[in-house]
This record gives sequence, C-alpha cells and structure tokens, in this order.
Amino acid sequence: MTIHETIKEVQEQFKDVLKNARDPLMLEEVKNTFLGRKGKIAGFFSMIGEVPPDTRKEVGKMLNELKRSLNEQLELRYAEFQSEKKQKERVDYTLPGYVVHKGSRHPLTQAVDDMLSIFKRLGFDIAYGPEVETDWFNFESLNFPPNHPARDMQDTFYTEGGGLLRTHTSPVQTRYMAIHEPPVRIVAPGRVYRNEAISARSYCLFHQIEGLYIDTDISFADLKGTIELFCRMYYGKDVKIKFRTSYFPFTEPSAEIDVSCFLCKGKGCRVCKNTGWLEIMGCGMVDPNVLKVINYDTEKYTGYAFGLGVERMVMMRLGINDIRILFENDVEFLRQF
Amino acid sequence: MIVSIDWLKEYIDIDMPLEDLAEKLTVAGLECVVKEIGKSIPKGVVIGHVLEKKRHPSAEKLSVCTIDIGTGNPATIVCGAPNVEAGQRVPVATVGTQLTPDFTISKTKLRGVESNGMICAEDELNLGDDHTGIIVLSDDHEIGKSYNDYFSSSLVLDIDVTANRPDAMCHWGVAREISAITEKPFKKASIKLIEDGPEVDSIAKVQIDALDGCPRYTARVIQGIRIAPSPAWLKNRIESIGLRSINNVVDASNYVLMETGHPLHTFDFDKLKGHKIKVRFAQEGEKFETLDHKERELSSDMLLICDTKAPLALAGIMGGIESEVDDNTVNILIESAYFTPAVIRKGSKLEQISTDASKRFERGTDPNETLVYAQNRLAALIVELAGGSIAKGMIDIYPEPLETKIISLRYDYVKRVTGVDISPENCKSIFSHLEFTMISEDEDSLTVEVPTFRPDIEREIDLVEEVLRVNNIDKIPSMKKLTMSVAEECDKFHPFLTDIRNFFAGHGMHEAVNNSLVSKNIGDAGIWGYTPLNVLNPLSKEMDVLRTDMIQPLLITLRNNALKKRTNIRLFELANVIEKNDHVDTHAVEHFNLGVLCCSPLWGLNWTEEDKPADLFYMKGVLDHFLGNLNFNYKLKENTNRDEFEILYDIVIRKSIVGKIGKYVDGYFEKLQLQYPVVVMELQIGKLFNWYNPKQQYIPTPQFPSIFRDISLVMDKKSKAVTILNEINQHGGKYLVDLVLYDVYIDDTKLDKNKKALSFRLEFRSKTKTLKDEDVDNVMNKLFERLMNQYGAQLR
Repeated sequence: MTIHETIKEVQEQFKDVLKNARDPLMLEEVKNTFLGRKGKIAGFFSMIGEVPPDTRKEVGKMLNELKRSLNEQLELRYAEFQSEKKQKERVDYTLPGYVVHKGSRHPLTQAVDDMLSIFKRLGFDIAYGPEVETDWFNFESLNFPPNHPARDMQDTFYTEGGGLLRTHTSPVQTRYMAIHEPPVRIVAPGRVYRNEAISARSYCLFHQIEGLYIDTDISFADLKGTIELFCRMYYGKDVKIKFRTSYFPFTEPSAEIDVSCFLCKGKGCRVCKNTGWLEIMGCGMVDPNVLKVINYDTEKYTGYAFGLGVERMVMMRLGINDIRILFENDVEFLRQF
Repeated sequence: MIVSIDWLKEYIDIDMPLEDLAEKLTVAGLECVVKEIGKSIPKGVVIGHVLEKKRHPSAEKLSVCTIDIGTGNPATIVCGAPNVEAGQRVPVATVGTQLTPDFTISKTKLRGVESNGMICAEDELNLGDDHTGIIVLSDDHEIGKSYNDYFSSSLVLDIDVTANRPDAMCHWGVAREISAITEKPFKKASIKLIEDGPEVDSIAKVQIDALDGCPRYTARVIQGIRIAPSPAWLKNRIESIGLRSINNVVDASNYVLMETGHPLHTFDFDKLKGHKIKVRFAQEGEKFETLDHKERELSSDMLLICDTKAPLALAGIMGGIESEVDDNTVNILIESAYFTPAVIRKGSKLEQISTDASKRFERGTDPNETLVYAQNRLAALIVELAGGSIAKGMIDIYPEPLETKIISLRYDYVKRVTGVDISPENCKSIFSHLEFTMISEDEDSLTVEVPTFRPDIEREIDLVEEVLRVNNIDKIPSMKKLTMSVAEECDKFHPFLTDIRNFFAGHGMHEAVNNSLVSKNIGDAGIWGYTPLNVLNPLSKEMDVLRTDMIQPLLITLRNNALKKRTNIRLFELANVIEKNDHVDTHAVEHFNLGVLCCSPLWGLNWTEEDKPADLFYMKGVLDHFLGNLNFNYKLKENTNRDEFEILYDIVIRKSIVGKIGKYVDGYFEKLQLQYPVVVMELQIGKLFNWYNPKQQYIPTPQFPSIFRDISLVMDKKSKAVTILNEINQHGGKYLVDLVLYDVYIDDTKLDKNKKALSFRLEFRSKTKTLKDEDVDNVMNKLFERLMNQYGAQLR
C-alpha cells in the first residue's frame, strides 16, 4: 500500500467513527485513537524514518495536512454537540421534580430499633413473649403473690379463659430462663397493657423494653455501668444519671433511674417539670425468688434486670405532651418522621 | 402520703434544708417532695358583719341582708340559709370572686331584689360537705379581712410510699428513715397509762372465730368520756396533714394512726350488744351498712367485727353506722388488732373501698410492739383529752404469736450483689438506726432480728437492699469494665421486621401503631374469621376484645383521617392479632401480621401524570416486590366470601393461606367521601419468617445477549390475563426468561366489541450461546398456534 492509500484509508476510518460518536465522551476516545500521543497519526510520524529520504519532506507535509484536517473535523463535531446540548436547555428544567410519595416509620418503632441496636452492640440477644399471658408468668413467677398490694401497681386487663394482657415485658424473663441455662443476656421489646383510664398521661397500652442479664458475679455495679453506657449512647455523652431506691417485686434491691433533662441539660424546663431530671426506667438485681422459680442456683448466679417505657422516652424527646397522639395515626403526624 | 415537718420534729432532729432531706429520702426509697399545704380560699372571700336581716318581699325562704364588708359601703345580699341572723360574722364572697373554675360571683337579682355577693356555706368554700347553713364565725374575726388569713399553712413531705413499705406510712416510719440516713437518734413518746376503771374482763369479751383473718385482737374500754372538739394542738396536727378535725376521740385515733402507722377503731361501747366483740367471716349475702351510708351485700371472704347480734365493722376497712361514736357517747371500746394482709386486700378489692386503715393492713402492720403501743397511746390520749377512766387490763387474744425473723448477712454476699465493699461498722450502724436487733456477729457476717413492723424483710438479699439504699444507691461506683456473656442464640426476627418496616416506608407508606383493643363488632369483622378473645374488664365497650386482624383497625384509622379531610392515606402496621383458641392455656393464639391500607393517588399530583389511584394493581405490584425480595413464590386465589370486597384474594404460599389482598366495593365507605379506592393487604409475617431462607449464593449474570419478541393478540374479552400468562410461561420453551404484559387495548370502534388485545413482550436468552432468530421463531410459532387453537387468539 502506498502512503497515499494508507492516509486515505485512515481518513475514511476517521469519518466513520466520527459519525458514530454519539456524545462528547466517545469523541474524546476518537481523538485519542487518532490524534493522541500513541494514536495512529503519531504512529505514522514515528515511521517517517522508513520512508525514502527524497519523499520524506512530502510525506511529512501530507501527514501534517492529515492531522490538521482531522483536528478540524473533530472541532466541528464538538461544536455540533454543543449546539445539541443548547437545544436541550430549552426544556424548562425549573419545573419541580415528580412528586414521589414519602413514607415514614412510626416514632415508637424507630425508638425501639434505636434502643435495640444499642443493646445489640452491648451483646444482648432479643427475646419475645406473648401479649396474652398467664397470671403465673405475669405475676406469680415474678414474686407477686396473689392478693399482694404490689399487684395494684399494675391495673390488669383479664381475658376470658383465665388469661390476662401482660402488664409488663417482665414475664419474658421467666419464660426465657425457663428454657435457657445461664448465662442469659437478653432484651425483650413489646406491647404491654394497663387498665387505666385513657388520658393525656396514660394509655391502655404502651411499649416496653425489658433487659435481663444472669451469670456468675453480676453485681449492681455492672448494672450501673451498663445503664450509664446505654444512656450515653442514646442521649449523648454529657447525660447525667441518677439511681434512687424503689420497689419492684421481682428485683431486690430495686431502683428507678433518672437522666438529666436532655432539653434543658438539667437546668429545669417544661419537659422535666423544672426538676432537671427525667424518670426513664426501673431496674434492680433479680430477686432470688425469681431465680428459684426457674431452678437457677441462687448461690451461684446473680443478675440484673431493667425495664423502660418507650412512649415516655419518645414523648420527652419529641416534646409530645399527650400520649394519645402516638396512637391516633393522623397521617399529618406520621409523615413528620 | 403526707407527713408534717413540724410533727416529724417530735421524733427526730432535722437540721438540713428540707429540699436536701427530700432528695435523700427519695434516693433511699421514699420518693417525696416538699409541699406547703393549707386551705386556699379565694382572696375575694372576706369577713362580713350582718348588720340587718329582713324578709324577702316575695320569697318566704330568702332573707335580704345588709352586710358590712369593711369597705364603708354595706352590701345588700340575698341569702337562702336558715341560720343567718343579724350580728353574725360570716364569710362573704364578694362580687368578682371566682369560687370554682365555672362559678364566679356576679351582681344579680334574686326574685326582684339585687344581691351583691354570697354568704358561704362550708361546701361552697371546699371546707367540708355541709350545706345546711352558712358558716358562722366567732366575733374575733376582723371585718373586711380575707378569710384565708385565718388558715395556717404547714410544710409537709408528700411521699409516694411503695407497696412494700407499710412501716413508712406514718411519722414514726419517716423519722426512722431520717435517723438511719443522718445517724441521729429517733425518739418515741412515753405513755402514762392510768387504769382506774373496773377489770376489763368483767365488762367486755372478745372472741375470734377467724384466726386466719385476725391473728390478734386487743381491746380496752374507757368509761365516762366526754366528746368535745379537739384542743388547738391536736386540731393543728390533724389539719396540718390535710385531714379534717372531727372531735377529740376521732382525732386522737387518727393522730395515733398517723404517728405509729397502726390503724385503730373506736366503738361506742353502749351500742355493743352483749358488750362482746366477735371476729368472724361474713356469711355469703349478709347485709351491712358502712359509715359511708352504703348498704353492702357481703361475700364470705369479708372479715367482720360483730357484737352478739350484728356486724359492727368491715374489719380493718371501715366501720358501721350502728356502733359509731357520736356526740352522746360516754363509754368506748378501742380496737387495736392485726388482720391478715391478703384478707384485707381481698375485702377492700371486693367492696372497692380503700381507707387509711385498709391501705396499711393490706400491706402488713406490726402485730407486736406497735399494736400494743398504739392501743395504750390512744387510751392515754383519750383520757387526757376527753376524761374518763380506763378499765384495768387489756383484752388480748393472740394465740399464735408471729415468729420474729432472724437473718444473717454475709459481707462477701453484699460485695457479690452490690459490687462494692461496705464495712461491717457501716452495716451495723444502719441496722441499729432502723431498729433491727443485733443477735450475733463474726468476722464475715452479722445476724439480726427483724423488727415486726418490717414485713418486707425476709431474706439476706432484703438486708443487702437496706444497706445499699441507706448508703445512697446512687453512690455505688459503676463498673468500668463490662462483661458480656456470649449468648448461643442470635435473634433474626427483629432485623427481619426492621427490613419490612423500611421496605414499606420506602414505598411511600406511613407506619401506624394502633390499639390492639377494639370493639366486638370490629373483632368479629376480622378478615381471618377468628373468634375474638374477650376482655373481661374492658375500659369501655369500644375496647372489649382483642383485634383479630390488622385491616379493621387500619379502617378505623382511615376513617379518623378521612374525617379530618386528610388525603393520601397510605398506612402499614406490624403487630399481633389474637385468635381465640380454647386448646391453649391462655385461650389465645397470637399471629404476628402485617397490614397495609392505601387510599391514595399512585403518584403525588404531578405536572406530567394524570391522577391515577393506587389501586389493586398497585397493591399487587407491592406484594410482588415484597414477596419477591423474600424469594417466595405465591399464588392468588379468589375469595368470594366477603361482600364488602369488589375483589378479594387469598395469598397462597406452600398451599397455605398466608395473606389477603383486596379492594373494597367503592360504595362501602360512602359516608367518608373518599377520593380514591380502598385497597388493603394482610400478611402473616410470623409464618413467612419461619419459612424464610435468605439467599445463600449468587446466580451468575447472563453472558449472552437476549432476543426480544413482542406479540399482540386479539382475544375474547372474557379471557383472563393470568390464563394467557401461565400458558405462555409454560410453553415458552427453555430460553424464555421473562414475560411482561405491557398493553391492554379495548376499543369497540376498532376491535369487535367482544374482543380485546393484549400485548406481551417475551425475553429469550441462553446460558451457553448467543441465540439466533431461528432459535425462537419456532417457539413463537408454536406458541401462537396454541393460543389460537385454545383461546381463539389472533394476531393483531
């Protein structure tokens, strides 16, 4: 093939690929293939030494002409793309995006997820129990004897056939321990029910998360350390925590836990009723009577349990002052989360 | 419970700020706040002097009074009270005074006579229940002065006593706590008892026929007392804790109760038939009228105090009318007894009466020292206040004295439970201030006798709590190195649910949380046809069963939203539904289900799309996506049992119905004037979770290109899309990998009016080679031939 024929062929090839280039990116590729540092034209220039010396000058000229022509064609094609792009700008891109429906998670189940994920990081497994419970699991196994005033702490719905709606998630403790040997390290989320008149401050159902840890050498100091860590992870590292003695039949000693108000940082505000503190959960060392019920060796094993009310924590966080709002399911409320 | 600071100081020195004291008591387990209590009578109520009283010209029962209210300008007030007289000092609510949130005194005309205020009776000022006449005050009340100035206020602790601490329900108990916390001594008053009456056994008898309900009963008799108002000191004490002073005997009895925590009862001795007390259980259906004037029909669980003829009192709960001490009483019998807590609680629950006495008895009072102290204290106090002479001796029936508890506390156990070392000296000091008796001690432990006023202390762990709480539970250092026992199981259910929640939220739906308690007709209407489980003591008729499906509660939510004119209602919820089942112990089987409801446009209102509803096809698409993600193959089977549905399908997986999907008849919600159809879906998530097997291995991606074929078929309008789709899927050959129905064409002008055209796109692909046209042409021809022969399909 003569050099002329070669150049012609290259020109034809170039025209073809140029035509097929559909966007500037492909054009860039074409430019590289033909005019790049290692492109076809550069290749020809590097072979110029093989041409007889008398024609070198002429061939050089032809190659330069070829290079110029290809460059020119490329520029033209670039310009074409530019104008095509401009044409597109004539669409009114200020029109709003299509309205895609926004969905949302209920703040209660979100809070449960948030809390559970913290407890999972702390090595707790998740356990479950039924909402319709037996008196034995809900009360007796948890050291609430029949006709004990402690039962007044939890007004109960009874169901036909002798069952009841669990008043707390604590029966999951005994249910779980009954079929597992220690160590036991669980949290149990779920709905619980109280037969109390519905008002801004109380609803007939709410959500709790129960925690339980039984092993050798588990002390109240472990409980404090764990709860403090949980509170820091949930409320932030500056939160302050206060334990005070309380009473639950299934823990001994028992305590209530207050955290410094996250809104006013303990200075006193509407949310904390000017006390600077918010009551968030009850806890304690599992009462030996409970361990005995499920035949754990009380001399060998100790452990702690805690229970927190999800609604309270969500209401405090979101500034909701009427618990019924959480169960109304007004879509204008739900869509906020 | 209210305790007065002033009163507490009789037993313990308090030398710290009250707020600090409240804080310390709270941390130790007596949650309390400092309060100031007193009568709060509105400012506009002033002392008035009745200058003149005239008959009302046109109303016999009304009088027209001219009253000096200290303004120099006497007010004319029309009064209906029978006891108003000229010369009296009376409380007058002046014009503009707000007596209750919805009652403000204004200038008014009563039967034609102008009245500028109101002379008040007890009940109108919230001072008592009396409305028989106006309050008449003594002459030392200064005219024009605010009536409220005559009431003193007192500082109190308002304590929320937990159910395990009956000992703390009195001033003694709180003082004892303060003593333990501050290490200051706790002092009790000594009693001077002069028994100068006849031998008590010669004038009164006690018989217990129900020892299991009443293990101990003591009685004293005092003769020749005189009922009178209480002296100022007692009246102050009683009023300082928010009680009403009644007379010297009743007040003294309340005083001793609030001092020692032991409830006492006084009977008019002369009203006791046979001068004999008999303690027995009631006969079923026996009738008795209590002090609150209620005639009660009793059950045999109810313990009674009787005389030889009739019941006198519901033991430990409330007295009766017949034996009540009244203004003419001269001889009394004092009861100080111990009743079994469970018996009192049962009775109090049955009769729905909760009194200061029942609250203490049901939690457990002290049958030993405190019981006797309270008896003697009251007897001495009554003689001091009302005169009379105490009969010699105390009747005391206590055949089986309660055994005291002796418990050891090992110091290493304290360490094991609390995680900290607490010194033996510290422990000993705490128990001594809490009035535990030290029995013995050695290097490793101590042994104490538990005072009988502490029924909550039964075991070593209870002693640990005493040590911990008095030491300030908040000061226990928290463990910095947490242990984490390795559990064998690892829950997958909760993450599964979180994924589902995020899936539906991602599909533009809002998560709802509905009440599980619904009305019976809602429960009966459940989509699964379960029998609802009844709640025996519902809050209301609206909540007397547990929900049997997810859809009905979502319909209520839809309704509530529609009534608020909300549009775009797309909801889902995950929760248990309850099926009544008599074969399980709780009579309930719980199914964890998902409910979905849409009444919404498919898209939000857009500038490019027409307003299409999110209809059944939308819901089917969501279902497809959802079950596809979980790798479930499913079938829909039409369910024709429900009239309210235009279409309802059972969702079938592994031959088992796991869900429902359907669209309600448009008119079903006529009253709500909904803009969009109501489509719903319910799935048994618990069941799906049990079957769910997350995909373990990937499928290699296709290496060879696909060939597409579109086919448009004209066929009978009645033929079902699903039939044709199944047919093509079954006979599409081994290379068919996807099939999409992309057009449905109905046009009576262009097609026969009994015909419709369906267009399908078929995708063919091989795993091993690039397909050529002839590889699929054959299949397409056969397929078309088949559809032509079986369904009369023709190419369009």
